[in-house]
Amino acid sequence: MYAAHLDLAARKDFTLICASKAAMRGATILKASDDKTRALNQHTLMAFSGEAGDTIQFAEYIQANAQLYSMRNGIDLSPSAVANFVRGELASSLRSRKPYNVNLLLGGVDPITDKPSLYWLDYLASLAPLPYAAHGYAQYYCLSILDKHHHPDIDYEQGIKLLHLCTDELKRRLPIDFKGMMVKVITKDGIRTVDYDDEARIPCP
Amino acid sequence: MASGYDRALSVFSPDGHVFQVEYALEAVKRGTCAVGVKGADIVVLGCEKRSAMKLQDTRITPSKIGLVDTHVCLAFAGLNADARILVDKARLEAQSHRLTVEDPVTIEYITKYVAGVQQRYTQSGGVRPFGISTLIVGFDPNDKTPRLYQTEPSGIYSAWKANAIGRSSKTVREFLERNHKDDMDREATIKLTIKSLLEVVQTGAKNIEIAIMAPGKLIEMLPVEDIEAYVKAIEQEKSEEAAKKKTGRTPGTGNAAILTRGPDDASGA
Amino acid sequence: MDTLVAQYSQSDYDREQYSQDEQMELYQPEPSLSLRFAMPPIAQPSAWLRAATDDNANPNCPIKIAHGTTTLAFRFQGGIIVATDSRATAGNWIASQTVKKVIEINSCLLGTMAGGAADCQYWLAYLGMQCRLHELRHKRRISVAAASKILANLVYSYKGMGLSMGTMCAGVTPSEGPALYYIDSDGTRLAGNLFCVGSGQTFAYGVLDAEYKYDLSETEALELGRRSILAATHRDAYSGGFINLYHVKEDGWVKHGFNDTNPIFWETKLNKGEFSNVTSELV
Repeated sequence: MYAAHLDLAARKDFTLICASKAAMRGATILKASDDKTRALNQHTLMAFSGEAGDTIQFAEYIQANAQLYSMRNGIDLSPSAVANFVRGELASSLRSRKPYNVNLLLGGVDPITDKPSLYWLDYLASLAPLPYAAHGYAQYYCLSILDKHHHPDIDYEQGIKLLHLCTDELKRRLPIDFKGMMVKVITKDGIRTVDYDDEARIPCP
Repeated sequence: MASGYDRALSVFSPDGHVFQVEYALEAVKRGTCAVGVKGADIVVLGCEKRSAMKLQDTRITPSKIGLVDTHVCLAFAGLNADARILVDKARLEAQSHRLTVEDPVTIEYITKYVAGVQQRYTQSGGVRPFGISTLIVGFDPNDKTPRLYQTEPSGIYSAWKANAIGRSSKTVREFLERNHKDDMDREATIKLTIKSLLEVVQTGAKNIEIAIMAPGKLIEMLPVEDIEAYVKAIEQEKSEEAAKKKTGRTPGTGNAAILTRGPDDASGA
Repeated sequence: MDTLVAQYSQSDYDREQYSQDEQMELYQPEPSLSLRFAMPPIAQPSAWLRAATDDNANPNCPIKIAHGTTTLAFRFQGGIIVATDSRATAGNWIASQTVKKVIEINSCLLGTMAGGAADCQYWLAYLGMQCRLHELRHKRRISVAAASKILANLVYSYKGMGLSMGTMCAGVTPSEGPALYYIDSDGTRLAGNLFCVGSGQTFAYGVLDAEYKYDLSETEALELGRRSILAATHRDAYSGGFINLYHVKEDGWVKHGFNDTNPIFWETKLNKGEFSNVTSELV
């Protein structure tokens, strides 16, 4: 599996999603500005990691279906509806001849209730709504930080600060350079890329 | 009547007709009227809306104007239920095109696709042709040229500056032929659309639907109040002109613009 | 009459199936010409293929596939430079020194070849066909994004069945400007400014990354492409032969020669004093 890391902090009226920018093959970083997320509709964003090829094929397939739903019905699917749809697709894929090997984080803000949400999905089609989540090696570093510092009503600035705590730790301890993070925020107004400053070198004490 | 040659779709009559397709065109003629007009930088679709029953919930009754993709809009005349299927196929193709080619569809491409589906249903057994004509409008990605196409049950498709389909389409098309100008601004385009529809819609604004497409923007459905304002302005213009004509101050001009119709000219093509 | 009708009409059910198939045909990249390849009758075709072809693990493997390459392409202000070596190896054996690893898809699109030579040649030729069909259907030239996606979807549909290719699609279109995509047989497809692919990629990256800027002049860019391939042919045993150099511009690609590495190497060494690890005198 890919060494891609995704992690996130959610709540109050926004959801933050971030993913590493490195696209690797073998020992080579092919691209240092890769976007491992796809917008499914106005206010649902999916980040993915896993087997090369599978990830984008699956994400774009889901994206096309979510958008087809929006066109057909004149209204977007809610984040929870998308999450359950994706879970269903993963579950049937898992039992097919060639399963998709993808792990996902799905963040969104419900357009009707304005409630933010975050869903954690893995390639075995588990689905869990969580206040914060991570995939890949990032989990082992970030979850403890998030356990300590996350609380349900942090505002946007605190959220970004918390994300910095996580990405700084990854830079400090992970043996591979993941080329920085692509950070996106979902609010009731839509999806926006965050101008995320992670140029700083973090020395290991 | 047609001595058995209208029994199955895939059978020609000896003189080269496929009767089922011609019957489908007949169904189109009985459908409510739809008009499409290109302006200089927008394109407008107008539809005659059936008046709702007293107890009908108009908020959730489907419209005759549908979005195929964010930049493609479709209006139809003919059998509503057939249109639903066709529009859905077009929507699926639009998303599939985005998925496989990464670009949104061009208006011509999706028109060709819709016409292609309609054609297929004229050349195989066990099916019935789509009883609808469509007007497909919109803007190609990264392009500011308005596009307007028409498709027919036979699978023919064609491009237009302005066109009408459905009930009394011939009258409306003739009206458009007389009054359409290139490079109309937004106001003029909307006004011409409503004016042409008023040729066949007697009941005024509440039975008219207007959709406006502009490059890079979402579809805009004109609110009823705005349509009402246009209708009022047009009616006033008409009565003024009629008054002018009565006093005979402009003898040589303008008699063509206020042609009135009898109820019997529903013989549009 | 009725028998005639019955003969040409099908039941609704049959028809439904048929039209569904036909609909798929319209938008699937899957070829309409017969491309139903026979697969070995086993669960894991790729594992079987590896056992039969991996000359690293088993020097006596029955099939030796032509591998080993250095290819590179990069975007700069004047378009895209595409450069490759020309060696084909099968195991330790140099099968050819004059392989054309740049495939001319059409007058504005180039593909490069790394990995299985047959896979690349066949599927890039197939891509050329699809691009021409797209052009005829849509009345305008295919975008590089679309062309690369056709190839990526295609190889993805054969994922796990042993295809081996690492290719780049380079082209300039009015809508996109200069566009460069990397596609490999895993199904990865990436847009980027600069890619090196093949066994010599690391050596090429080394020279290329150090001197690459987007504002390179045309002559500088061509020289950098040539020098990067030379570096790879010098250090990678599986790269060598000739340097195949192309420049893709707005109005199509221009070929800048298919030149033997040997004189280029000596010229670089003797005139510029590089490659000082190689002695030029008898001691």
